[in-house]
Amino acid sequence: MTNVLFDDILINFGFGTKAEKKKILEENRDKKVYMDLTCYDPAEFYQEYPHLLGSFAALFCDEAKKTEIHFKERNEAVLEKLKDLGFAPVETTITSTGFVFPRTIVQIINEAYFALEEEVASKEDIDRAMKFGVNYPKGPFEWSQGKELYVVTLLNELYSKTQDLRYRPSKLLNP
Amino acid sequence: MNLQKVVVIGAGTMGSGIAQWFAQQMCAVELVDNSSEQMEKALKSIHSSWDSLVQKNKISSSDAEKMKTHLSLKSLDSISTDADLVIEAIIENLEVKKELFKKLDSHFEPHTIIASNTSSFPIELMAEAVTETRKPKFLGLHFFNPATIMKLVEVIKGKDSDLALCQNLYQWFDKQGKKPAMCKDSPGFIVNRVARNFYGEPLRIVEDDNETAMREVDSILKEVGGFKMGPFELMDLIGIDVNYSVTCSVWEAYGKEPRFAPHKLQKQMVDEKRFGRKSKRGFYKYD
Repeated sequence: MTNVLFDDILINFGFGTKAEKKKILEENRDKKVYMDLTCYDPAEFYQEYPHLLGSFAALFCDEAKKTEIHFKERNEAVLEKLKDLGFAPVETTITSTGFVFPRTIVQIINEAYFALEEEVASKEDIDRAMKFGVNYPKGPFEWSQGKELYVVTLLNELYSKTQDLRYRPSKLLNP
Repeated sequence: MNLQKVVVIGAGTMGSGIAQWFAQQMCAVELVDNSSEQMEKALKSIHSSWDSLVQKNKISSSDAEKMKTHLSLKSLDSISTDADLVIEAIIENLEVKKELFKKLDSHFEPHTIIASNTSSFPIELMAEAVTETRKPKFLGLHFFNPATIMKLVEVIKGKDSDLALCQNLYQWFDKQGKKPAMCKDSPGFIVNRVARNFYGEPLRIVEDDNETAMREVDSILKEVGGFKMGPFELMDLIGIDVNYSVTCSVWEAYGKEPRFAPHKLQKQMVDEKRFGRKSKRGFYKYD
């Protein structure tokens, strides 16, 4: 994880376990904190930490670095700082676990892994099918490359929140 | 592999698109339908599409004329018997398809490949209608709408389909500029299975009939995810009833696996006859 500190504001980037994220919040109660919570439920964190004033989901960013951001307390300086760091923040009012894009994409990725697990097709053919059959900008395996840990963490968090078996990860993601 | 003569059965949206694409590859194509009115309508639309491509300088007028001579309309009784490939693109009714395949099997020469463009039935079930000698030459070729534009063809190997034949077809489509994907005969094949959660998960994010939240989800998935359309506007375009039916079919086929479970809102929309654009009311209003 990386922290960027300016004035009385701390922006926390990167992946961390829930305990690691909470530790950062515990240690910075004197600051206004904005945190990457791609894999977690922002509402749970807001309730527990009043000084957490916004959250964003940057772990599945591609080269365009478009990032969903939710403000409990809108802050222009935070938006400007994110832009300075190359991000393109897109404001949202939705505080679903995993936000919108990460939550949707991990489910698509998980299904692609299940299809691979059942030898329905190769990785290459699954990616090709989704790009040229339904115009997805990337194939599920292209999206998940190097991000498997985030995929599994978010799926497990969704399962923990909902107890719905639809979020059970494929064995290939969770060996 | 050299596919010179192709027969397409069914002149609806998919069948006419498939016939048009094969004619554009300069294959001799026979388009067949029970309804002569439907065939004439399809032919008129295909000719008009080629004329439009000539006007836009996308194809030459001589090529358009050749394509027109390559495409002919036939009744089921008058089709040639020596086609290299026959593609079935009729209604999604298993018994009707099986009856057709039985007829096609006895009509065509032994070398003819018979394929189904089904999006929902297992190839293995349909192959029950053909003889043992035809089974290695029986497979799925699933095109996407519009077939002349969408590059994907799912090449579906049934239990008895000849692997080398499937691989040769894959290479042939690849050479002709399509983007084939080889897949096993399993419910939803690749796309209709993996794409289910593009609809199912956003429905669970918004949970209720909340148009503002739906607009926001559509907007985020387009802007952040790079999708061309959001899930709610896409379901409205496809038809909520059609999408719900595919969801239920995949869900049932996988023994009610929770990953494919339909959402209560889909059923509610169908019950309220809010089918999307075609009924002027779906997740959004189209007055």
